[in-house]
Amino acid sequence: MEALRFNGTGSEYFKIWIVNILLTIITLGIYYPWAKVRNRRYFYANSTLADRNFEYHATGKQLLLGFIIGVILFAIYTFVTQVAPQYALGFMAFFMLLLPWLIWRSLMFNMKVSSFSNVHFSFRGALKTSYKIFLGYPLLILLIIAGTGILASVVIPPLESQEIDPTIITIIGIIVGIIMMALYLYAIVLIQKKSKEYMIGNSFYGQGAFSTNLETKKFLAIYGKGVGLALIPLVVMIGGLTLGDENSLEAEILFIVGYVGLIVVSLLAGAYIMSRTRAYVYKNTLLDDRVAFKSTLGARALAWVMFTNFLMILVTIGFAMPWAKVRMAKLMLENTLVDTSIGFDEYITQQQQSGGAIGEQIGEAFDVDMDVGF
Amino acid sequence: MIEGYWHPKGSAERFVATFEINDLGRYAIVLEDKTAHRGDASSLKVSERLGNVARKIILEDGSTFSTLDNDGIDTLFKGRQKVNAVIHYMETHYRAVIVAFILSIATAFSFFKWGIPWTSTQIAHALPYETNNLIAKGSMKFLDKVMFEESTLSEDTKEKIRLHFNEKLSKLSIEDESEIVYKLHFRSWIMDGTEIPNALALPSGDIVVTDKFLQIAANQDEIDAVLLHEMGHVVHRHGLEMLIEGTFITVAVMMMTGDTSGMGDMGVGLGSALVSSSYSRGHESEADLYAFKKMLKVGIDPKSFSNIMARMTTYMTEDYSRKEKGEDDEFLDYFSSHPTTQKRIDLANRYSECFAQGLTTCK
Repeated sequence: MEALRFNGTGSEYFKIWIVNILLTIITLGIYYPWAKVRNRRYFYANSTLADRNFEYHATGKQLLLGFIIGVILFAIYTFVTQVAPQYALGFMAFFMLLLPWLIWRSLMFNMKVSSFSNVHFSFRGALKTSYKIFLGYPLLILLIIAGTGILASVVIPPLESQEIDPTIITIIGIIVGIIMMALYLYAIVLIQKKSKEYMIGNSFYGQGAFSTNLETKKFLAIYGKGVGLALIPLVVMIGGLTLGDENSLEAEILFIVGYVGLIVVSLLAGAYIMSRTRAYVYKNTLLDDRVAFKSTLGARALAWVMFTNFLMILVTIGFAMPWAKVRMAKLMLENTLVDTSIGFDEYITQQQQSGGAIGEQIGEAFDVDMDVGF
Repeated sequence: MIEGYWHPKGSAERFVATFEINDLGRYAIVLEDKTAHRGDASSLKVSERLGNVARKIILEDGSTFSTLDNDGIDTLFKGRQKVNAVIHYMETHYRAVIVAFILSIATAFSFFKWGIPWTSTQIAHALPYETNNLIAKGSMKFLDKVMFEESTLSEDTKEKIRLHFNEKLSKLSIEDESEIVYKLHFRSWIMDGTEIPNALALPSGDIVVTDKFLQIAANQDEIDAVLLHEMGHVVHRHGLEMLIEGTFITVAVMMMTGDTSGMGDMGVGLGSALVSSSYSRGHESEADLYAFKKMLKVGIDPKSFSNIMARMTTYMTEDYSRKEKGEDDEFLDYFSSHPTTQKRIDLANRYSECFAQGLTTCK
């Protein structure tokens, strides 16, 4: 097994980054797609495995149309929601309908314009599956929430009128709440797992297919632990709020401790969930049924880099961003291991028909992160 | 001679190779086993330079030659990638970065300060008049629900003011934009137990005056002055302009913050918010100017306007501020966001002098 390497440096990237920003400002945004290409190219080309590098092939021209459509759509959305906020919901529904297509489209595009050692990647997932995962399941969650809400509104009022001890009603309420949260968590985990399977299982490197074999049970264990961890300070905070007089010093201290704890712990919990799922997914992913992967990224290392990056960016009002990005890239790549014993020379690419990047850019305008990432 | 790797088309397999171009403009890629690829250098596609990442040359048959010797490639293909050469120069020279930095601050500032307001004004006036009604639709109902209460004035008083408004003032707008239909509304506005003196206009031409305002006004001229000011907002389509400006700013800030190439990393959003607060101030001056011009026409001393403004400000600072006001009421407080600046007073005085000389226009 050999680790990936990142050869870029903060100071080199800083100059590329700042020139990108400046040119984008001077051209009132038109340069943006080209800036994006330069950023991506820098990170791809500096990522190497066994002395061979990745490459990003999209051109600014390819991204421009999608970018313009995205900006116009966003402008219409902003204007309409200012004039008539009641239509915002309609817009969101429209966007939800569009989202699976955007994800599917940008996956295809991003994979197609990425290569390693002169061989391109590709994505061949079905649009239907994307709709199932990114529209079907979220709708199911909505139904669960709405269903429990209706159930509660039907069941609780008659209980109250029958002069049943209020503590029993509270306990019933808490139990229902817990069941609902568990269902919700389960649904989120299921979507995560299905989307990972969709993204990896339909990806190809040249003629070699990626495959993955994941269990919902393992995902649930990781998420359960992470969310459980994040709940502790929340409980402390709520305790602070409900503990008698809300103006009392103890309540305030508990609240503040809970609040600071919440930030720290949710960072840790986020890092825990991310690193553990990454390790689990990589371990169970194969290329061509032969090439194995491994992630050695630890929760504490990830949380530390995230936290210090955040501080660095804060203190320098953003100017440390290039160093932060390089640090993160180094951490990610150097903790990604690939079984290189099989050799790359046998990989011959299969040509794919070309297409635009509309999906990817619209998605970005609405700030949807669709990075597949390595 | 440049050293690198040659890849067959679409293959991950690579061969150590050298690349050179001779005096006749012919290139040669020679592999270790002495097999060679030759052709005319002008048929080659060269990837653009970016830092020191691997550079790629694409041959006509789709095979590629890649190398880390960026300077070598730049020398061989000198003059071929002019735009990229400029960008690369900027990316490697701090002096160029500083020049670009100053330029972009100037661009961003001008864009927010003048570009957005100017474009918004153009768009606002290019849109059909009905847009004004569209954006004001439901506003009156909303304001009645959350802010206003019924006026305590008698129907007679209301009718008198309305009649005066229709006969003297609303006619004036015919010369500006005949489509506007003004409608006067009387309301009471109570916040934290204090009655607020105010007048406000909706883009649709609905003008609301509060009971307290009518009570504070010393005479009819003062009421007219404020009403003309509100009409100025309507004529200049300030409501629509604000919406369009808001859209521009949101989109610009979104582009700066919600991205991957790092625009938002610099807190540009904050700056734009600071600049944008001056928009409404510009609108106030524009409405003032409109009011003053019309006042000269109908024979009202522009001094009336600064008088009533001063009186309302005094009332708000003395009476209203004495009671503790909550933080979240601030944004409703017209007077703190639109203070009567010296500039506005100066303008009123200048027009007042013109009035004293019996002029109907003022330079």
